[in-house]
Amino acid sequence: MKLILSDHSLSLPPEQEDIRYIDLSGLKIANCVGCFGCWTKTPGRCVIRDDATRVYPLIAQSDQLLYVSRIFCGSYDVPMKTMLERAIPIQQAFIRIHHGETHHVQRQVVPKKAVIVGYGASSPQEEALFRQLIARNTYNMAMEETEVICCEESQVEAIVKERVEAWKN
Amino acid sequence: MEKLMILNGSPRAPRSNSKEYAAIFAEACSLPTETFAITPKNHLELCSRMEGFSQLLLVFPLYADGIPVPLLSFLKTLAAHPPKKKPVISVLINCGFIEWQQNRLAVEMVKLFCTQQGYVFGSALMIGSGEAILKTPFRFLAERGIRKLAASIQRHQYRTFHTTMPLPKKLFIRASTNYWLAMGEKNGVSKEQMETMKIE
Repeated sequence: MKLILSDHSLSLPPEQEDIRYIDLSGLKIANCVGCFGCWTKTPGRCVIRDDATRVYPLIAQSDQLLYVSRIFCGSYDVPMKTMLERAIPIQQAFIRIHHGETHHVQRQVVPKKAVIVGYGASSPQEEALFRQLIARNTYNMAMEETEVICCEESQVEAIVKERVEAWKN
Repeated sequence: MEKLMILNGSPRAPRSNSKEYAAIFAEACSLPTETFAITPKNHLELCSRMEGFSQLLLVFPLYADGIPVPLLSFLKTLAAHPPKKKPVISVLINCGFIEWQQNRLAVEMVKLFCTQQGYVFGSALMIGSGEAILKTPFRFLAERGIRKLAASIQRHQYRTFHTTMPLPKKLFIRASTNYWLAMGEKNGVSKEQMETMKIE
């Protein structure tokens, strides 16, 4: 399955069977409260039953991801960061050594090829920090291959359409 | 006179490790300090109260490789509503992994915020194994790091410090597994249940 997760509303062609598009701006997602319930009370399920519970299973099932996020302080901006923090039920509490570092064990998470489109960085320094963040994500979010595209907000739509076309071919 | 504001940016601020780290810092620091938890509703109040402080310490855990959402949201508000006199910003960050280095990126993000918004960045303390270290015989290492952090801020001799539990990774993993199993047991959840591969 292929998943597009975006904080920027996109005009995309009608959904195809194996491509899901989720517009974060249309969802109600509270921030993670760090209760660890998804690890120690109801493993694999977040105790906050809002729209995030529909999204993180899709993240786990996808073998190709396209994330679109505004960049703030070199980080994903709040909407995308909120969703990614709420995705920790796809991991276990338990720790393993992965790429020489300690990281959480993943549940049934498909290894991914990910394209991350970050827009609105105010400087090359901010872009570089965002790229470093994605490099860290590869260890914690089962991303086997990543491509990071930093661009202006006005370019987002065209870049995403081009990527979706490439998926179809 | 110098005053230091401590902001707890943990998603579980009222019962967080960050709260305990903040309390240890306040005890170790000779400057007058006041501690506040960041909540979704108090951003503007915190921006306004910041006027009276020359130093700001952000205390938070690493979340998903970066700054947790409560603090990230607050920084957006602070960017839009800066105090007239901007405090020096320092960081006390902890992560659950044994490698204190995993905190580096989040510290760089705060430094970038300072550069972009015209604040001076002060000192930083990065703690590895921060979820557990305070409950182990290695607590003194965290306390020592916090004392160094406090001294550097008081003296305006800003530096970056780090600490973690001095354990081989395999031993850390064993200790961490026992920690999480005990948490599960409290909730009546077995190891097998915690290891489920099912999502939702």
